[in-house]
Amino acid sequence: MSEPGASRADSTRTGPGRLLVAVYGLFALSASARAAVQIATKFGHAPVAYLLSAFAAVVYIVATVTLTVGSPTARRIAVLSCSIELAGVLAVGTWSLADPATFPDATVWSGYGSGYGFVPLVLPVFGLLWLRRWARRPGAPSAFRSGKSPKLGDSRSPW
Amino acid sequence: MSSVNGAVPTTIIVAGFALAGYALLMTALNRRMNVPLLAATGVLEILLLVEVGLIVAKLAGGERPAGLPTLIGYLIATPIVPLAAAFWGLMERSRWGPAVIAVAGLVAAVLMVRLHQIWPVIHV
Repeated sequence: MSEPGASRADSTRTGPGRLLVAVYGLFALSASARAAVQIATKFGHAPVAYLLSAFAAVVYIVATVTLTVGSPTARRIAVLSCSIELAGVLAVGTWSLADPATFPDATVWSGYGSGYGFVPLVLPVFGLLWLRRWARRPGAPSAFRSGKSPKLGDSRSPW
Repeated sequence: MSSVNGAVPTTIIVAGFALAGYALLMTALNRRMNVPLLAATGVLEILLLVEVGLIVAKLAGGERPAGLPTLIGYLIATPIVPLAAAFWGLMERSRWGPAVIAVAGLVAAVLMVRLHQIWPVIHV
């Protein structure tokens, strides 16, 4: 993945995908570390919250890896994991507000990700938008490819 | 003891936001990664290393926070943030390289607040 030619926006990890993978990677790392510490040190305190943290961590890891790989299969898995992520943040967000007693400690998705600046809520939306762009042109190199050109090519793109 | 006073974390927060603003401006103006942005990222890295050094010195002095494993995790992860962002951003030949650096600047600022929450003797 470090060959020079690959640094153009011709995969899901380049162009706007570069930013997306960076943020997903950040969340994968922080959610994993947080869940690991919580489960290892005080699991009985808030088991539901900590298991959901661990689940979120797995979802973020899958999204990071599949967006980085970017093959057709990886993109399909990424669509699935981003969809689960969006459903998860909406479900857990609602659950945490409706039943605070189950969440004596926060998860990444509590309050729709309010503890993380609502990035967990926005991230799967951008992830799905980015993947949809790829679904429309299966296997085709992106219009970003123009290299030096300051234009981002695809005028339909929200980017 | 004031070895971990507010000056360094506050500087990091200001520097992080400044770096993020500069990097986002570059993204908006469709600029790629360049040497000044890398240098600014390097400055943030040095500031973070200074902060980590101050906290390690405090730990070496015998003081302990309640959540020591978490603090150690943060001490390891913190200096990696600008390095990873610079590496990942440099691989990008478009406006989205600087956008990655912007994330690193914002994360550095957030990390200072989190460090203070983990161990209140770390003043922000």
